[in-house]
Order: sequence, then C-alpha cells, then structure tokens
Amino acid sequence: MGFGLFAFAPVYWLVITSITPDSQVYRYPVTFFPESVTFDNYRSVFTDPEIFGWLANSVIVSVITAVLSVATSMYMGYSISKFRYRGRRTLLYFVLSSQMLPSALLLVTLYGVFSTFGVLNTYFVLIISFTTFTLPLCVWMLKGFFDNLPDDIIEASKIDGASNWRTLHAIVLPLAAPGLVASGLFAFMRGWNDFIFALTLTGPERQTLPPALVNRYIGEAATDWPELMAASVLVALPVAVAFVALQRHLVGGITAGAVKG
Amino acid sequence: MSDLRFAWLLILPGVAMLLAVVLYPLVRSLSSAFFSESLLYPGREFVGLTNIQAALGDDFLRLLWQTGIFTVGATVLPFVVGLGVALALNARLPGRSILRGAFLFPWLLPAVVVSFLWMWIFDASYGAFNGLLQQLSLIDQPRAWLFDTSTARVALIVAKSWNAFPWVMVMLLAALQTVPDDLHEAASLDGAGKVRRFWTVTWPHISGVAGIIILLEFIWNFQHFDLIFVMTGGGPAQTTQTLATALYDSAFRSYDLGQAGAIGILWMIVLLVLVVFYVRFSERSEAN
Repeated sequence: MGFGLFAFAPVYWLVITSITPDSQVYRYPVTFFPESVTFDNYRSVFTDPEIFGWLANSVIVSVITAVLSVATSMYMGYSISKFRYRGRRTLLYFVLSSQMLPSALLLVTLYGVFSTFGVLNTYFVLIISFTTFTLPLCVWMLKGFFDNLPDDIIEASKIDGASNWRTLHAIVLPLAAPGLVASGLFAFMRGWNDFIFALTLTGPERQTLPPALVNRYIGEAATDWPELMAASVLVALPVAVAFVALQRHLVGGITAGAVKG
Repeated sequence: MSDLRFAWLLILPGVAMLLAVVLYPLVRSLSSAFFSESLLYPGREFVGLTNIQAALGDDFLRLLWQTGIFTVGATVLPFVVGLGVALALNARLPGRSILRGAFLFPWLLPAVVVSFLWMWIFDASYGAFNGLLQQLSLIDQPRAWLFDTSTARVALIVAKSWNAFPWVMVMLLAALQTVPDDLHEAASLDGAGKVRRFWTVTWPHISGVAGIIILLEFIWNFQHFDLIFVMTGGGPAQTTQTLATALYDSAFRSYDLGQAGAIGILWMIVLLVLVVFYVRFSERSEAN
C-alpha cells in the first residue's frame, strides 16, 4: 500500500495538475481533488509553434538514433555471440564499461571537437553521441538474443551454400526481430529522454524537448506549473505508449543477462 | 570471406564510433588536467600537477562527501522500495503483469519530467508535499524543501529513488522467478515463518542479482547529473553540488578545462575501483 502510494501519487499529481484550472492550482491550502477540469493547458502547449518545433526535433533525433543503434549493435552483437576470436571478451568488457563513463566528462571534449569541425547545433552531433551511448545496452541485449538462437540454424544455412552475409540477413535477423524492436525502443528512449547532451551541444533551434522545456519554464520568473505539467505529459506519452505496446519484449530485454549473471 | 574476417567486419562500425565518441574524448578530457586550457580560447599550456592540486583542495573532499551521500541514499532507498514491490508482485496476484507494467512507469519518464514533477511537489507555496503534511498536521507552515540546506539533499534522493525503484523491481522480479516453489513449501512445512523463509530460501537465490543491481546503481548515481542540475542546480549554498555538476560548471560556466579535467581524473580513480568490484562480482556470479 505504502509503496503503491509512493509510486502512483506523483503520477496522479502530474496528470491532475495538467487538467486543473489555474484558479484551483494556486490555492492555499492545497486541494488534492479539482472541482473542475480544463484542457486549456494542453491547448496552449499544442498551439505553441516553439514547442512544436522542439517536438519535431525530438522525433527526428530519436528515430534516427534508434535505427542507427540497431543497425550497428545487431552486427556487433552477432559477431560477439556467434564467432570465437581473440579479444572478444575484452571487446565485450570495453563496450560494457563505456556505459559507465560519466557523460559530463566526455561532453567537455566532444564540445571542443564538434566546435572545431563547426558542427555544433546540428542533429548529427546528437545522433552520433546518443548512438554511441545506446550501443552498450543494445549490443548486450542483442548478444543475449543471438545466444539463444541455436547454432544449427546457421550451420544448416551455410551447408545450403549461403554466405555469411546471406545467413545473417535472410535467416538470423528475421528470427531476432523482437530483440531488434526492443533494443530500438531502448535507443529511442535514450535519445528522447536525454538532457545534458542536447542542452550542451545544441542551441534552441536544434534542441530536443527536455533541455528546451527547462530553458523555457525553469527560470527566474514564476513557473507556469499547470502548463509545464501538460508539456511533461506530452514528453512522457510517446515512450509510455511504445512501452505498453512492447512490454513483454522490453522487460525481457531489461533483465536479460542479469539473472544468468 | 573467412569467418574471422567477417566477424571483425561486423564489429568495425560500432568500435569506430566508440573510439571516436567515447575513448578519444575520455583520454583528451583527462589529459586536460595537466594543461591550462580554456573552452573560450584555442591552445593549451602544460602546467603539471597544478590543476590536480587545486582540485584536491578542501572543495574536493566536500564534493566527494556530497556525491557519496547522494549516491548511497539514491542506491539504498530505491533498492528497499524495489525489493518490497517485487516481493509483493511475486505472489500470484491476478493482473500481476499489468501491475508490473504500471509500476515501471516512473522509470520511463524522462529525467527532466521527473525533475519538473518533484519540483512542483516540493513547491514552497502550492506543493503537494506541503499540502499533505499540513493535512496530517505534521507541519503548520509550508517549507521550501528544495531551497533549504538541511532538506534539499534528501528531497533529491527521494525524487531519484522514485525514478529508479522500478528498474530494481523488475530485475529482482526476474530473479525471484528462479526460486523453486517446493523449497518454500518445504520450509513452511518445517515451520519457518515469512521472515525466516525470506532469509534462508529467497535471499540466497537473489543475492547475486541484488549485488549487481546495487553496484550498477552506485556507479550510475555517482555520475548522476540531470535531476540535480534541473532541481537545485547544485544549491542551496552548493550543498547538493556533486562531482558531476561541479565538473560541468568548471567546463561550461567557468570555461576552465584544466580544472574540469582534474576533477575528471580524481573521479575516474574512484570509478575504476568501483568497476574492478563490478567485474569481479559479475565473474563470480557467472561462475556460480
């Protein structure tokens, strides 16, 4: 019960605030159940051209990040899972430990490098940095998927005369489709939720929603909480919907490897 | 094409990206520690250990201490909550998978949304937390939780724990499903109570996963940035500043790359110790 309250009361408050008229939100003492409901806050968020532009940036950057991450990590995951070569374990540890590096530290140099090449404030810098940070988890998830795929299938395909490439693309990848989708969603979430990279590497025109909303709402002046809560629901919704649709695969992906060790 | 060639070809794009966007920046950032270098001007001048000595001043111990408090708090609290929820959901409840999905929700939210939501909950005038405490008559005056040096840190830990417990829950739930039912039955037949059964039957099965969860959370919290930066910006009076936010400030507010690199070096030393623990631990649980 107590845990349930801790988990869900804030979500209730997020949604309720976003549909409560200002006159009832700014009332003292606080009322937990609104007397009336309004969608004005959502209307002003949706009709705001600036917010709409940031939303478009978020979609573009996150979708490309997801596609690029899956494309890169499925090859890496397959290689690590199904081939035996020197340095394979070292590679796996290098990939895994790279996700433990503090992003603030890497940002300092990335900012310098991107600035030297004059590519700051582009979609490219966000996509390339996000993809690199999604790689470890995606490789890990997909390696797990390929590990569970029996070697016989690959052998059979090779005996039939198929090349390595053909075996991978025509036989293995279709079988791994649920894993590809799940890891793609993880990469999408990483891009969608990121704050620090988008804040530092891009300006208002190319910024995604998280840093843009911080700059927009959290300032010196009083914050418009109901509208900010409506905007927050807008940011949270795509990920929540995608997650509900793919829940089973995702939960498997999150816990993959953990139980096995 | 030989298998070996093929295998190497497959990892090439990923490795190239990791080298360019992770390894090179890491080495470059850390090397900045030995130079006087600004984000505003090109060029660098070798200064030896000056930056590191400066970073190791009184400030470093305070930062390390503050980072430590946040890290431990934001690791322990979500672990306890996550374990409690996992144990509750592991019982054969109807609609268990829907509940599990619902409990995951706080983890799906972008960090800035978590920050906004808890800033609003802890708001000094109209915040829900003040409202709740006043209705329960626990306080008579609303308080500015995030602007008070004695409570800001705890408020941050609570927000981070809310965001993090679902991940702990789902990992532990997976581990709990490996506990054989007949062991529980045998233990109850022998007259073991709930608590006793947890420690003798359940815990040995999940302790390996629990160890990995705690280590990973520890490493992530140690470098956590988003919530702290948005909710308190390191304040009030620098009390919620951690190594991560201090490093960011050095680089992007003071434009002092040498100082940022020095904090980075000290940070990496601490992190390296953690990673060694992690690798040891995961190898040991793999051996079991």
